[in-house]
Amino acid sequence: MLESARDLRISKWYTSVPDKQKKQTILKVHRLISSRDHQKQSNFVNFENQKLVYRRYNGLFFVMAVDVQDNELSYLEMVHLTVEVLDSYFNNVCELDIIFNFYKVYQVLDEMFLSGEFQETSKQVVLDRLHYLDNLE
Amino acid sequence: MSLKSFIKSVRNSKTIAAERAAIRKESAKIRTAFRDVHLDNASRRTNISKLLYLYILGEPTYFGQVECLKLLASPKFVDKRLGYLATMLLLDENQEVLTLLTNSLDNDMKSSNQYIAGLALVTLGNVASPELARDLYANVDALLGSPHGYLRKKAAIVAAKLVNKDPDLSEIFLPRVAPLLNEKSHGVVLGALALMRAIYNNDESSRETLKIQIPRLLAHLRILIATGHSPEYDVRGVPDPFLFVSLLSTLRLLLANDENNTNLEPLNDLLTQVCSRVESAKGSGYSVLYETVQTIFTINSDSSLKVLGINILSKFLTQKDNNTRYVALNTLLNVINYEPLAVQRHRTTIVGCLQDGDVSIRRRALELTFAIMNQQNVRVLTKELLAFLQNSDDELKEYITTQLCIACNKYRPDVRWHFETLISLLKLAGNHFSRDIVSNVLALIMQNTDLELTKFLVEELISSSQAHFNEFALALVTTWCIGEYADLVIGEKVTPDSLVNLIETFLNITFEQADAIQMKTYALTAILKLSARVSSPQCIERLRKLLLSFQSDYNLEIQTRAIEYAEIFGQPASIRKALLERMPAPPVKLHEGIPLVNRSTTKSAKSSSSQPATTGDLLLDLLGDDETPKEREAAPAPAKPQESTLDLLSDIFGSSASQKPPQQPPQETVIPAFADEHLSFEIVVKEIGNGSASLEGRVHNLGNSVVSEISVLCAVTKQQKLQLSPIGSNTLAPGATSSLGIRVTGQPGAKVKVRVKLEYNAGSKVSRQFDSALPMTM
Repeated sequence: MLESARDLRISKWYTSVPDKQKKQTILKVHRLISSRDHQKQSNFVNFENQKLVYRRYNGLFFVMAVDVQDNELSYLEMVHLTVEVLDSYFNNVCELDIIFNFYKVYQVLDEMFLSGEFQETSKQVVLDRLHYLDNLE
Repeated sequence: MSLKSFIKSVRNSKTIAAERAAIRKESAKIRTAFRDVHLDNASRRTNISKLLYLYILGEPTYFGQVECLKLLASPKFVDKRLGYLATMLLLDENQEVLTLLTNSLDNDMKSSNQYIAGLALVTLGNVASPELARDLYANVDALLGSPHGYLRKKAAIVAAKLVNKDPDLSEIFLPRVAPLLNEKSHGVVLGALALMRAIYNNDESSRETLKIQIPRLLAHLRILIATGHSPEYDVRGVPDPFLFVSLLSTLRLLLANDENNTNLEPLNDLLTQVCSRVESAKGSGYSVLYETVQTIFTINSDSSLKVLGINILSKFLTQKDNNTRYVALNTLLNVINYEPLAVQRHRTTIVGCLQDGDVSIRRRALELTFAIMNQQNVRVLTKELLAFLQNSDDELKEYITTQLCIACNKYRPDVRWHFETLISLLKLAGNHFSRDIVSNVLALIMQNTDLELTKFLVEELISSSQAHFNEFALALVTTWCIGEYADLVIGEKVTPDSLVNLIETFLNITFEQADAIQMKTYALTAILKLSARVSSPQCIERLRKLLLSFQSDYNLEIQTRAIEYAEIFGQPASIRKALLERMPAPPVKLHEGIPLVNRSTTKSAKSSSSQPATTGDLLLDLLGDDETPKEREAAPAPAKPQESTLDLLSDIFGSSASQKPPQQPPQETVIPAFADEHLSFEIVVKEIGNGSASLEGRVHNLGNSVVSEISVLCAVTKQQKLQLSPIGSNTLAPGATSSLGIRVTGQPGAKVKVRVKLEYNAGSKVSRQFDSALPMTM
């Protein structure tokens, strides 16, 4: 899973990929997504042996690479749910929150996804858990 | 310096050089700090968080790997949290440092603090290697029985991951599935479903045991359908669409190709209930409906449900949201073969999508339009497509001309209409014809025996050319027809001189080099033939001069040909006439349609069989376009003119007439069944009919490295018998091919569908499974 604007903000890989290839992939994804017409085109695009499901929130793109036979619409909802959780967690999330608190974003992702699978679908459960864990620190 | 100020200093750098300097400085500081043996965990945390920032910037971080392990070994939660987080990001399963992690993971997963155990579980889930999987599966198994739902849901997903890493673990986790499925927590059920899918895919012997659980899945589905509103899991009006989707896709996996399962009937009922909610669906409801439709077409559901599914997709097509339309078109393309009539009914909607703002939607709508074409609607659809052609993207034009020519050959209501369509196509997109299709068009013209109609066609071609002279294919076809049929059209309206003028016009247009050579070859033949069809000495003189001008052409083949033709030109008129008679008609090659959008071949069984079959021949011709001229130039100069004019003249057909003598038995059909980055698998139909099919499976190494331990296993439906010969070689060098014989026997007239399991080792062991259906019956 990737998030990008002009610069990459956060990336999380659920498969093992060498660093060099990560960089190339990020570059390719960036080029592909930024070349698309976001008014007229769908939020899905084929990419190598996978497809990308992405959505733009202000200047930020949230991008997921999923298998070709996966349900695109459902993944798009997941992207949205993730953003909603971030929004509640950071109390009106903005790009700066993500830049300065990138490690917290990872913690959010780890409560929602595990080894590429969606593990929790209830926004409230995720948020309660995150607040609890933060208090443990 | 804190993490915050480090990020600020990078962000505030005015130039790239300043940014690099800030990063380098901080990176050096982090290294120094890590060298300090007395570093306390608080400073270690700060340094590791900075290291993570370096990671996000794409900077090297290997020097901090061991520090992450030190941090997570601390007893404090806050240290462990960051330590594990960093480990997940900086390490992956291929690193040796990972062996140092085993102990910490083992200890922490046994921790009485569920949150610490959770951290270790998540980390294992993200970095597991086959070794870690074997070392730690017992810990995961223990956590599956934990009293905390939080750990059970995580453990289930991690168990799925471990099974993927080491299929032998399926046995260990199989008994855990049932109790997990009995839980109410959506998170745990999601985990259980992931585990089921992993076991199903990795261990064939467990499949029947997993199928016993189907009623539980149905029960969960029933609850979801009955739930009106659930504040906890609602996503825009739908109670947990994610669980919905996961349940359906798991059911699909379990029930695909299991046509007699007793659970199919209740599932069909449930699917019908989901479908009936289509009217009220919004937002996330579409993802559920979409999954439902896919399920309908994968399992053996009844026809009325399939029609319902197609109606849902057509409703998708009328939505404003691009995403919904996109998936609907994609799915329709995959399912059209099941209920072609139901798809036909939505013709207008599909054709409407040709005007969509999104090019990927237009492409799919286009392919679908060709897929629904038949005898009844060919006229209407062709009209729409010609209109679309006028405003379409250049990259789609060749696809349209090719497909439309193929479709017209198949479905034409009458010859005159067919000719009119061809003329419109040539006028609109004459620069977007493949060579193969040009020779196809010419063969068609020659096949026509109604000379009145040919006359009409040639007249139309000539007048169209005058307005659209720079459409390459139009120029070629017209030139050729002038040579062949000038005697039919010369009269009051068309004078011999005007024909010579037209040829001259074509020759003066700058086409691309390969095209220009082809144009000249066609023109040369037309000039020669025309000389036998006109009587005016002035005109013949003009033709002779034109022919002479080619004798100094820079292209050797043109030059040779011009000199040879001049020889014929010099013969007395009677001999010339006999030599230059009309060509006998070559057979028209029949092509199958080709898909425009690359769809996955690894899709579920039935959707792959619905893809239009492609003849290998066609693929070669379309993709290997640029090879034709080369081959031709390399071929020996045409035979001496006196020997056989036929040979000589038919040569311009290149791909269609000269290389293949007519009336050969049908070619081998090659069906590309599968390809990934390493191997491709094709099925070659050698012989088919009388209840038996003799096939050859060809495995080809596409990659740059040697692939070893290749094994191919095949299966056919129960009613058919299969004989399999061993593969020629189980190790393939890059570019090498090996084959095996497949013989299927059964009821004459039955369809042949082969399921192939392909296993190989390309660095790591890979196992693929796919289905391939033959386009003909036996």
